[in-house]
Amino acid sequence: MNAMQKVPVSILTGFLGSGKTTLLNRILSEEHGKRIAVIENEYGEVGIDQALVIDADEEIFEMSNGCICCTVRGDLIRVLGNLMKRRDKFDYVLVETTGLADPGPVAQTFFMDDEIRAEFSLDGIVTLVDAAHIEQQLGRSDESTEQIAFADVLVLNKTDLVDAEALDSLESRLREMNRMAQVVRSEQADVPVDTVLNLGAFNLDEVLERRPTFLEPEYPFEWTGVYLLDAGRYELSLADGPDPWMSLVVVSDQGTDDAALREGAEWCVRRYAEAAEDIHPGQAIPVGEHVNLRLESLGRKSFFLEVDAPARLGLYAQHTAEEFDLQLKDREGSTIKEEAERTWVAQHEHDDEVGSIAIEADGDLDPDLLNMWLSELLRERGVDLFRMKGFLSFRDEPLRYVFQGVHMLFDSQPDRPWGDSPRRNQLVFIGRNLDEESMRRGFEACLI
Amino acid sequence: MPDISGKAPKGVLNRGWSASVDDYAIAGGWTRSGEALVVADAAGGIYAFDGKSGARAWACQESHDGGVLAMAIHPSGTSFATAGQDGRVLVWGVAKGQVKQTIEVGKGWVENVAWSPDGRWLAASCARQVCAYGADGSEAWRSENHPSTVSAIAWAGARELATACYGRVTFFDARSGEAGQTLAWKGSLVSMALSPDGDVVACGSQDNSVHFWRRSTGLDSMMSGYPGKPSALAFDDAGILLATSGGQVVTVWSFHGSGPEGTTPGALELHVESVTTLAFARRSMRLASGGRDGAVVVWSLKKNGEGGPIGAAIVADVVADLLWRPDGRALAALDAQGGVTAWRVG
Repeated sequence: MNAMQKVPVSILTGFLGSGKTTLLNRILSEEHGKRIAVIENEYGEVGIDQALVIDADEEIFEMSNGCICCTVRGDLIRVLGNLMKRRDKFDYVLVETTGLADPGPVAQTFFMDDEIRAEFSLDGIVTLVDAAHIEQQLGRSDESTEQIAFADVLVLNKTDLVDAEALDSLESRLREMNRMAQVVRSEQADVPVDTVLNLGAFNLDEVLERRPTFLEPEYPFEWTGVYLLDAGRYELSLADGPDPWMSLVVVSDQGTDDAALREGAEWCVRRYAEAAEDIHPGQAIPVGEHVNLRLESLGRKSFFLEVDAPARLGLYAQHTAEEFDLQLKDREGSTIKEEAERTWVAQHEHDDEVGSIAIEADGDLDPDLLNMWLSELLRERGVDLFRMKGFLSFRDEPLRYVFQGVHMLFDSQPDRPWGDSPRRNQLVFIGRNLDEESMRRGFEACLI
Repeated sequence: MPDISGKAPKGVLNRGWSASVDDYAIAGGWTRSGEALVVADAAGGIYAFDGKSGARAWACQESHDGGVLAMAIHPSGTSFATAGQDGRVLVWGVAKGQVKQTIEVGKGWVENVAWSPDGRWLAASCARQVCAYGADGSEAWRSENHPSTVSAIAWAGARELATACYGRVTFFDARSGEAGQTLAWKGSLVSMALSPDGDVVACGSQDNSVHFWRRSTGLDSMMSGYPGKPSALAFDDAGILLATSGGQVVTVWSFHGSGPEGTTPGALELHVESVTTLAFARRSMRLASGGRDGAVVVWSLKKNGEGGPIGAAIVADVVADLLWRPDGRALAALDAQGGVTAWRVG
């Protein structure tokens, strides 16, 4: 008798001026065949006759246990509780939050309240970002950081007000904070309705397809060049670049195939963890050590490499060669072409505390072990874990499981059969100051 | 869904009549001697059915824009009030279905409406305020803003009105509207019931607990461990038993002797989905419960809160409200598909 499908709900967040009302009006006026009920928290100018628009005053209710993860939006519970009785009138709900809203309580409402959970499902969180002002906002408020961390879709709006380079750097910063979200650019919140509605809650498949490097390990360096050199003195020349310094490790006997490069990378990760020695222009760069090239002075700067015997050297640099127009020259001043080069997925270069962790592992999980591990993780780190999503493969279970969560609340449900596809667990966590290594070890211990 | 009627005793519930309204049947009530049953649906339709036959006496499709949220029958049984999303309260005559008074309460939804036991005052809450109106529909007083939307109201006798909201219960003098005692507790109070003598205030809380206070001593207690939020609460007329929802089990606390602190409550188990509504028959230890499973169960309870089912039936959808006829000899159920079902109770 309650076999009716749950009503999907999208949450629309974004700072004041990010274009929420424009987007809302656009969605409501478009012919998409959906009947949408809108719950507004900012008395906006949504003025579409056929839409069911309800104004609600944001009421944040904390529980007596003081746990922020249990905080819910009381007004939403009331409004949705009533909407539930009119569900023949709409087939989708959009909740617009105030600019300064922490998306946590809104999202938690769909996990915490048993009656709401029975009737509605959180389809997705869409965050509008004002491309021209977000950098300032990120510095000033936790809310804007959390709005980005919680998002399934980031609409990078007002792109016409920012130059292409700044836009790329902004996008990469946002992606570092939230690697799960789809990023869509727009000028006047002009995005297809499909990017906001019916996200299908679980678009991790798509995220992975779109960005295959998503689950690749991150390195503290972005670029490697391998050079075949005879004995002699070489000049490493750099132009002005984005930073007044750059970290570097030079590896001797570097191979050029992918395996050799990865091996070198792993070795360099450990060197990068050591303190760097400052090297000033005109000085020689020691091989096999973490150095910090000082690049404060203007114009091209030269450092030196002494090679005793013919060798293949690998340069693992914090930035790509392009960024500083890095060139290696011999005594005669002719530029030496690298034998091989490759770029790496860089660790976030910004100081954002908020970041994403992806864990990928083939094999089957022991449900009891996973439960214990998750319970402990969520109990200890729930406050700092904003969102999590993933696919899980359980022992003796033909179906893939999807799981998602907000803070310490989570939910896992059977999805489609694995069939012939590899049984691969994929998880993404977005949170503050997460310890990737220990989380990865903890998860791997749940595998059979 | 398991066939609950197959294993439960049919017992005291004898099918009387059934009828329907056009939308989700949201609230209703019997007139004083049971001549009529008045029902409101979520779309705003108001209906009156003959109490004996179920024949429709009258219907009005246009009451509140956006729909009805609450209804209360006047103690005289000759009129009733409806409250809606349009910010208004309408007072209707039972006999013909004519609107006698139109009261503009405020700009938000009017979610609660209640007559004082002596019928002199009508209280209604809208957003963060509660208002009282006299017999002619004129505003007697209006409260200051509460810290959050008023979630429940209840009369403590004829002289005091209680309101619940996030973090507190407040008492107001019926005549002056002056705020009196405040009972504070950090939590979202979603439901409220007062013992008939007005001493015990019980509230269901969003964090899946029931909190209650004794006004005379100021002492309070919390009963936790519910799997869901207790959004339905009911006191029996003697003030001995408090029945609470909050999951599939109906939990009954007994105030007999020194309880309920330190006692084990009665656990009434028959529903297979969450209980949505609870009602005691007047001057009786008979409790009716309705659930998301569409089951309606009548229980006979003892003073210690224990009891067993003496009748059960199934309706078409989630049970929205259960209405005992004042003499306790009939019970009506309203459901989410607009079904109105009445039983004679043996």
